[in-house]
This record gives sequence, structure tokens and C-alpha cells, in this order.
Amino acid sequence: MIGDGTRPGIIWNSEAGDSAPASPHRPSATIVTSDHFEDMASEQRRALHAQAAKRGTQLLVVGSPAYPIADDVPGRPKLLFVEGRRPGVLDAPRVAVVGTRAASVHGLTDAWELGAFLGAAGISVVSGLAIGIDGAAHHGALQAAQAADAAHHAALQSRADEQCRDEGWPPSGKDEPPTPAAGPVGVVATGLDIVYPRRHRTLFERVRQYGVLVGEQPFGVPPARGRFPVRNRIIAALADVVVVVEATLSGGSRITAERALDYGRPVLAVPGSRRNPAAAGCNALLADGAQPLLDPSDVLVALGLTPGGRRLWRSAPAATKRQPASAAAASVLKALAGEAAHPDQLASRTGLDPGQVALAVEELVALGLATRDRGFIWPV
Amino acid sequence: MLACVRSAMLFGVEGLIIDVQVHVSTGLPSYTVVGLPDAAVRESRDRVRAALLSSGLTWPLRRVTVNLAPSGVRKSGPGLDLPFALALMMAADELPDGVLDGVAVIGELGLDGTLRPVPGVLAMVDALRRAGTSAVLLPADNAPEAALVTGMRILPATSLAQARSALKGEEEWPPPPRSPRSLMDGADGDDIVTDLSVVRGLAGGRKALEVAAAGAHHLFMVGPPGAGKTLLARCLPSVLPPLEDDESLEVTRIHSAAGQPLGGQLVRSRPFRAPHHTASAAALVGGGRGRPSPGEVTLAHRGVLFLDELGEFSPLVLDALRQPLEERVVRIARQGASVAFPADFLLIACSNPCPCGLGPPRCICSEAHRLRYRRRLSAPLIDRFDLRVALGPAAPGDPAGAPSQPMKDRVTEAIARQRRRYRNLPWRRNARIPASALRRAIPLTPAAEDALQQAAYRREWSGRGLACTHRVARTLADLSGTEAISPEHVMLAASLREDVL
Repeated sequence: MIGDGTRPGIIWNSEAGDSAPASPHRPSATIVTSDHFEDMASEQRRALHAQAAKRGTQLLVVGSPAYPIADDVPGRPKLLFVEGRRPGVLDAPRVAVVGTRAASVHGLTDAWELGAFLGAAGISVVSGLAIGIDGAAHHGALQAAQAADAAHHAALQSRADEQCRDEGWPPSGKDEPPTPAAGPVGVVATGLDIVYPRRHRTLFERVRQYGVLVGEQPFGVPPARGRFPVRNRIIAALADVVVVVEATLSGGSRITAERALDYGRPVLAVPGSRRNPAAAGCNALLADGAQPLLDPSDVLVALGLTPGGRRLWRSAPAATKRQPASAAAASVLKALAGEAAHPDQLASRTGLDPGQVALAVEELVALGLATRDRGFIWPV
Repeated sequence: MLACVRSAMLFGVEGLIIDVQVHVSTGLPSYTVVGLPDAAVRESRDRVRAALLSSGLTWPLRRVTVNLAPSGVRKSGPGLDLPFALALMMAADELPDGVLDGVAVIGELGLDGTLRPVPGVLAMVDALRRAGTSAVLLPADNAPEAALVTGMRILPATSLAQARSALKGEEEWPPPPRSPRSLMDGADGDDIVTDLSVVRGLAGGRKALEVAAAGAHHLFMVGPPGAGKTLLARCLPSVLPPLEDDESLEVTRIHSAAGQPLGGQLVRSRPFRAPHHTASAAALVGGGRGRPSPGEVTLAHRGVLFLDELGEFSPLVLDALRQPLEERVVRIARQGASVAFPADFLLIACSNPCPCGLGPPRCICSEAHRLRYRRRLSAPLIDRFDLRVALGPAAPGDPAGAPSQPMKDRVTEAIARQRRRYRNLPWRRNARIPASALRRAIPLTPAAEDALQQAAYRREWSGRGLACTHRVARTLADLSGTEAISPEHVMLAASLREDVL
């Protein structure tokens, strides 16, 4: 059911403009799915092309050279809608980073760092633009893409300056520095003209700017519960490797992981504490044979690339960070023991009084060694 | 023949002086009450008539007109029965003229002529004293309460017949009750208060409770079910010092007016009101049909209003709290008159962190569920809590806590410091300092100011957050017995105002 991609009842409005998908005065809507594209009346097809041209949407059909999903994926959508300034990001190696919406502070940090690491390594990050892990991974990838962009512009500028000095204007244009190839790939479960969740509208815009949005639903299709698992198969199909950062036992990330296994993609999972319900899905994946992700460079190994440089997470993190000045802060940091704790728990573990604990936490937060979340203290 | 008797009735929680004028003239027997009487007042005719006949007196078969002055205010309540009866007897020459000069009369009559107590006597007698009346004749059951007003001669009566013979000088007035004020001094009543020694762990929550009690800072506690939120809140009365003398009289007057049982004693311990979450807006802030009656916020005046499971209260009801929280008075407008109820209370509220109740590290709620739960509580209301703490999970090995007495001593001392500091100012407690006067009233050292700005910057606070932390820091300094606010006090204050939801 999930893999076949043909779900009835998807509405594409062939007449209404793209700006008003939810208009109550919607004229006669035609029910189509993207798989009906070939069978579509030429009139409808023209309307679709017109709307896509107006929005700058690429329509990628199976068989076209830019179509990004490999042939061996059963039930791949026959038509993909792609929007964004950098369609080239689909040519880079692609890694999906997915996870739960109810993520912990640690999960969000891991997802962000992973996104940034992959982006800096020239790997595109595929995810679902949801609240939580997905969004954090995209934000990390965007950070890397922006940094790469800035470096690229600086390199272009300095080269242009050099050539002007050596050869005079105009520059010859040979051996240009390569343009950054990697960026975020956001896979949506709605039409590309719908932003869901609304809170991520800025994220949508930025992903459009530094990468691409991909979807299989025609314009105007609203979010619906059943469309997200269907979307997850595209995430799995687009990715060369799937990483699950934090997942609950029943979440959609496990569907993504299952599809990835169906398609023969390696699945990596970040192990977590048994006390963390948001890590239960990852731990279950590990028990089922997924590879543990203990460091971002493990992804490079899974991609068949050679990891270079030091291990980002495995090298003792404390050594690279600032040390708390006061003895109380040091003992509170030790008492945190890498997990979230309530100040009362910290007080009983350290023997400090609540006031001293509060001051120590204040110091740790100021140093960036801990954060607060709804009354609990998390080591960073 | 004309007779005039002074009486009083309740208007909100204040007493209002009423003059009862009775005119008896020849003509067809009739009885008319003018001067905006309500149903209970109009019905008094039948009670008065039966009581007179039961007491062996006669009802004058003449034309009787009763006027209630001032005539522009709606008269309510049964407390005007006795003044009607006595004025009628005077007008009908059953009583000598002048026996009620300088004497006010309050009381409800039974059909057998006995006198029944009325609510709000304290407020009425207090108003009569301020109007220059020196003696008051009232039901014996109300006498102990009336005796709380100093400088007033109390004439207690059990029946109409006894009042009549005492007024005529045929028998002595019973001795007035001893002023219970002296009896009550120091004693805190026999309420059973929960002592903090039953609370295990919750070090952070205890600290927040102490600060709330000392500075009158509103406190919002979030924690998993069974963490001890309610227990902790119920312990609050055990660390609060008794009401001061002027506060005590004020609170007793309000409770008397609201018909709360007093037992003829001044309320000395601070009120603790815990309305259920199904309470309506009128029950919480006052109002209701006809004569506006005080709500829970007014009954909690100078004490504590405890709202357990804040998220279960109707949002409309909670929004009605915002105005009394700001102005510390509830104004209820009715056609013709508006009533002001005092409402200076300490608000303690509890909530679960999310629908699953487990709290951040182990929560299994989805983001959407959590947001929906959070939206039940309006952000402006949550912003009005100076103290917001998340209670930790209870650990089985937590030692039994310290008893209340040491904390009560610290709180009492901190309150005394505030009284000394603010003796010529219109507020008494740190939490009540208006934002405009904050810098002048409690200046910060440059180091403390720096700490405050840093804390505010890190937490992206509004101006209110800044002011609240400033006040809480002052209370922390008061609790530690120092005059200067240190940067540590500011940081601690900031850590007591977290985003807990």
C-alpha cells in the first residue's frame, strides 16, 4: 500500500491559479494522481505545464536524465515536482536524516551537527521538513551550505582580483573554483505550493534558496495523515544512506527505515538511553541489525567514502570545551553524567543546596556547557 | 406619628447606613414600603406582623408608611426586620420616644418573635461607628462579632419582647460579650495546617514556596502527577505569619459580609482558598444575580488563592483573573451602582507539564499535543507569575523534609524587613512595588544590574520579566537578611522564573 504510490482522491486543480489553492470558490476540480500523467488529457497537461512554468517548477518524469530516483526502486513516482534554485544538489551523494517530531535537546543537537557535517563534506541532506529532527537536520545543512557559498564567493572574488592584475579584464574564465554541490533536499507530503507545517515557512524558503523541495503531489494537495508515510518512501528512495537520529517506537521514521531496507539502502541509527522514549525507535532498529552511528564520519564509511580527519563526536568532547571555573559548576556538570536532570536531582547528587545548584547551572549555561528545557538541565 | 430608627445593610463588603422612617396615620389599614426595597425587605411586613402578635403586642390597624433612606439605593436583606418593628412600635406609642436616640438596630425576626443573626454584622457595625453611632442593638448571636469593633456599645437581644422591655427599662440589658480580640491574640484558630515535614525532597519547590510567602510573589508550579505540587501548596499556610491587626479586621469584615462562619472571632490566620476548576467567572471574581457577592479572589484577600490544575479552568474564567491580579481590586458594575471588592491575594497555581504528565526527559507527547495543552493557558496569565518552577520527579530515597517553623521564622523576618523599608510607602510587599518605582525603591548595584541584564538577554525577557526578577531578587536578599542585592540573588531570582511549559 505504502510503496505503490497511487492513492486515489488526490485533487489537482487544473484551473485555479497557484496563489489560491484553498479558495472556497474552487472551480471544478479534476481528480488525478501524478501516475496518471501519461494518460492525462493534453489540455490538463498543458495547464499543469503552464502552472509549473509560472512557479518555476521542474517536472521530472521517469526516464528523463535529471530524474533522481534509481531504477531499482519499486513503485517510484512517475512524476516528481522539484522546486529550488539548486537542482544540482540532487547530483551530490544524498543522505537522509530523519527522526521524531518530539525530539529531545540532545537529539536536536545531534541532528543539527550531523546536517552541518554532511553539508560541509559535500553531501546533500534529505529530510521531511517536519518539526523536530527533520528541521534541525535541514538547519544544519543550510548552515553548511551558506558557509560553502560564502567561501565560494570569496574564492571567486579573489581569483577575479588576481586575474585582473595578471591579464587584465575580462578574466579568461578557466579553472573556476567548483560551485558548491551539496545542499538540503526537502521532501514534502503536500503540493509544492503548500507549506506544512506553517511554523517552518522560513525554513521552506531557505531550503528553496540553497537546495530543492521535492514532492510527488500536484499543486494544491493539502496535508493529510495518510500522505506522510507515502512521502517517507520517497525520502528512502532518494537517499543513498538513511540515518535515524531519534525515533519513537511508533513514529514515521521507522517506516522510512523499513522502506530503505526494502530498497537496499544502509540504515544507521543513533543509539540512545533506554530512559529516553525518543530513542526507543532507534534502539529497536539497532536491535534489528541497523548500524550504530557513533560519529558523523560513520556515514562516510556507509557511503563508501574514506573518512578523513578526526572523529567529531568520539574525541573526548570535554577536552575541546571550556571548563567551568567554580568547583560547584564542575561537580554539577559531572553529576549531569551526560543526561538530562532536574536541579533537585543535581542537588541530591552533589550535596549542594538548591541555590548553589542554580548558580552553578547559570554558569554552565553561560559557558555553553548546558541548556535548560522546561525546568530540566541538559548537558550540551 | 413619625418614628425614625437608624440601621445598616451590606453593600458589597461594606456597610451602608440606612434610616428607617415609619409613619402611622389615620386612614384605611394599610402597609406600604417605599425606598427601593427588594423582595426580602418587602416580605418583612409579614414577619414583623407575626412577630409582634407572637410577642403579645398589637399590629396597629392604621395606615403605615415605611420609608428607607437614602431612597436611591436598592435595599436588600432581612436585617431591616427589627428596625421596622421597633420604629413601628415607637410610632404607635408602644415605646417611649427617644429610647433609640444614638442607638442603631440590626436584626432579622422569626415569626415567634425571636431574633435571628444576619451576615456581615462586622462591616455594618464598623460603618455605624464611623458614622458616629455609639450603640447598636442586635441579635445576641451576632454580638460577639459586633464586639470586635472597638468603641461601640453592644446591646444584645434574643427576642423582640426582651428588646422591648430592656428599652423601656423594665429589665437590664444582658452583659455584652467580652471582646474576643484579647482571647484570640496569638492563637491561630484550630485549623489543621499541613506541615512541611511531610514533604519529601522538592528542594527547589520549597525554596520557591518560601520566596512566594516572603515577598507575596505569585507562584506557578509544573510537575508530573504525584510530584507533590498540591501537597506543597497546601503547606503554604504553615509558613505564613498571621494577619496584622488592620488586615485581620479587614479580612474578618469581608468574610462576615460573605456569610462565612466566623464563630465571633477575628480571622487571624491568612485565608487559603482552593476553588475547584469547574468554578465560574462569577464564583471566582465575584458577581452573581442581584446583589453582587464577593468571589473567591476577595475571600482570599490578604491570603492565598490556590488554583490546582490550572489548565482545566475555563480560559474565560482565567482571563477574568488578569484584572484583579493587576489592580488588586475587583470592580463589578451593575445598573445604578458599582461595587469594589478588595482582592489582594497570593496566587499559587499548579499544572501538569503536558498531557502525558511525565515532563521533558521522558515525555511521550507529540509536539502538537504539547502545544495544544499549552495553549489552554494564556501566555499573558503565565507571564504574571513572578515564580515559575518545574518540580522534579520524586525519588524514593528522598529524606523527609525540614518542618515549617524555621521557614516561617525566615518568612516572618523577611516580611518585617519589608514593612520597615516600605513604612511610608503605599505598598507592603516586594511583589507589589509598581514597576515605575522599582529603581528608586530597591536600587541595584552595578554588578547586580549587570547580572540582571545578562539573565534577561539569555532568556529573551520582556520588561515584565525584568521587573519580576528584580523584585524576587529583593525578596531573596530579604530572606538572607542582607540590605544589598547581590548578583547571586539576581541569578537565583532568574532561575526561579523559567519557561516551564
